[in-house]
Amino acid sequence: MAVRRRRAKATLRNSLVGLAFASPFVVGFAVLIAYPLLASLQYSFTDFNLFQPPTNVGLDNYRAMLEDPRLITSVKNTLVFAAVGVPLNIGLALAGAHLLNLPLRGQPLYRAMAYLPTIVPVVVGAYLWRWLLNPEYGFVDHLLRLAHLPAPNWLMEPGWARTAVIILSVWTVGGTMLIYLAGLREVPMELYEAASLDGAGLFAKFRHITWPSLTPITLFQSIVLMIAYLQLFAQPYLLAQTRLNQSTAGPGDSMLSYSMYLFQSAFVNLKMGYASAMAWVLFVFTMLLTFALLGSARKWVHYANN
Amino acid sequence: MRLTQFARGRRFGRRYAIAAVAAALVLGTTACSGGGAGGDKTSDGKTVITFSYLWTGPEAKALEQVIEKFNASQSKIQVKGVSNPDMQKQLASMSSAQGTFDISDGFGNQVGSWASKGILEPLDQYLGSNNIDANDFVSAAMGQMKYKDKTYALPIAVHSFQLLYNKKLLAEAGVQPPKTMDEFATAIRKLTKVDGKGSITQLGLGNPDLPTSITTLGYAFGGEWNDPATGAPTPDKPGNVKALDFYAQNIVQAYGADKVNRFVGGFGPYSSAQDPFQTGKVAMEIDGEWRCASIASTSPNFEWGVTPIPVADPAPAGTTQLTSSTLFIPANSRHKKEAAEFMAYMLGKDGMLPFSKALGNLPARTSMLDDPIYRDLKNFQPFLDSLKQDKVKALSSAPGGSEYATDLASAIDSVNRGKKPAQQALSELAAKAASYGG
Repeated sequence: MAVRRRRAKATLRNSLVGLAFASPFVVGFAVLIAYPLLASLQYSFTDFNLFQPPTNVGLDNYRAMLEDPRLITSVKNTLVFAAVGVPLNIGLALAGAHLLNLPLRGQPLYRAMAYLPTIVPVVVGAYLWRWLLNPEYGFVDHLLRLAHLPAPNWLMEPGWARTAVIILSVWTVGGTMLIYLAGLREVPMELYEAASLDGAGLFAKFRHITWPSLTPITLFQSIVLMIAYLQLFAQPYLLAQTRLNQSTAGPGDSMLSYSMYLFQSAFVNLKMGYASAMAWVLFVFTMLLTFALLGSARKWVHYANN
Repeated sequence: MRLTQFARGRRFGRRYAIAAVAAALVLGTTACSGGGAGGDKTSDGKTVITFSYLWTGPEAKALEQVIEKFNASQSKIQVKGVSNPDMQKQLASMSSAQGTFDISDGFGNQVGSWASKGILEPLDQYLGSNNIDANDFVSAAMGQMKYKDKTYALPIAVHSFQLLYNKKLLAEAGVQPPKTMDEFATAIRKLTKVDGKGSITQLGLGNPDLPTSITTLGYAFGGEWNDPATGAPTPDKPGNVKALDFYAQNIVQAYGADKVNRFVGGFGPYSSAQDPFQTGKVAMEIDGEWRCASIASTSPNFEWGVTPIPVADPAPAGTTQLTSSTLFIPANSRHKKEAAEFMAYMLGKDGMLPFSKALGNLPARTSMLDDPIYRDLKNFQPFLDSLKQDKVKALSSAPGGSEYATDLASAIDSVNRGKKPAQQALSELAAKAASYGG
């Protein structure tokens, strides 16, 4: 009995020690993540303006979302950003990684240049692009005019404003490119050699060796990029910003992303309950999409060890 | 399992580890709760109050000078000024039980909305004891300060909108500053230049802020943007529609939305030496009195004039829009009485005169409109004069104003892009505005 009690005591003590060591994380997680997360779920069923006690409104916030024209605009914009941005990002990153993998003199310099925009703060990048896209003095329209192409009025027309948001997000493709580059260098050379012996061309090699080997990376990048695009905030916010910090979102609300509208609902219109409901809808939607992507992986992702 | 062996071997180390973690947690929590309090009194017994303001740069410097003078005159209160232009932080601080500041500044059109949420301290009880005469303030501004018959903020400065014009361009085109809307339309046409390819090279009427221009013109056409009794949005009043339609006909349809926006897109930064008005790209524009100080510093040789906004029947001559900058005390301040005393100083001659002069803003009190301090500000007089008659109007500060402002801006934007006629854009907004909550 005494031995058993001593052993039980020791186990308890060990558990406590473990908890004590984990406490900085456990406390931090509970206070800074779990509690706000659960609180926002509760707020999503209330009318809450941040200052007065919330009043229960049941599902009203969720119902109001269905009839809010600005919300519907923001959903459409966000879906367009994601549907165009994610494939474009993946395609450019993959193509760029191939170029950066060529045995060229000065390749490290090119790699550094491709990555450079990623380390430029997004605010600096956005203001830089606002000037580059200026229809009178901007370098982009200047080049287009030299090439006798139509020079669009970038930030003043809805279609071009959305394009500008995507350009600004794709500008930092260097990060994804670098991960693909690392993936490319992992593909066993003997596979290419064997394919060459069988008479495979460049395209066949890409289709049957490179692409399958890179699919795990593509899956991961697709999920990460999709989440980033669904949460797109800084790029459209900075491109649409006018003086006096008004809650503008570009011509015809063309740059109003879901996160931007969430922010405006919460901190400009002070509708915390509504904003919380929006956050939860985004969370559930993102989770479902992620599961769908993971589920589809069985059909197109190849792992080297099986 | 590994941990078990590790722990058994170092019993003392383990105890220290637990103690250290516990100590860190305790320290962390006390540090958090200690953050708000403390530092309420100086060593010589003065109560310290914090003035968090949105102003920065030279404006903040001018404000600090006023604060310094106040502190020198005081034996009981010491004001600590903090420049914090982040409005989200300002709001966040007011949501906690203990605030981080005792007095702050904002904009007239937020007052009702904030007051309805209980974050502003009613000021009526402090007016008498601090000898503040509420009737001396410009009445349109005072309208914004009230919510349900109580005063929740007071204006430190006001802004009125007039028509600014480039003297050289008007003389070249043989145009007199317009007084009626017909003259205004003719002036815009004569002052707009288009090159051989149809691109605009000079615009008759520019807009530093299109929604402000349209709301101002709305008043000048006899319109009202809010119900005078309830403050509820009334975007589709005939005068408002006429104003937006005036802009649509004389600018958007006359020269093409695409052409206008392309030209506007190439403008240099507002109020800088490359500002479109200061560089002659725009011949006239509707803007506020602060341009007197800013043009003097960025384009000192620029020849420009100011004339009242042209009006149309039934609006009387001199009708224009007013906006205001406010001072308020948050409900969670712990030194409201002291804050009110400092506010009275700011709103008095020693505060308001030098501060509004430094910023090139209009004083909010009618008794200061003729003060000689403003005499050396070029073109300032018409702005001062505009406040003397009771023809300035202001947007309501009633709750729901931020949504109204956003939706009004996008309705105006749809007309500006040539997508909708004025009547349709404003009628649709009126239908939507009926569903705004608090």
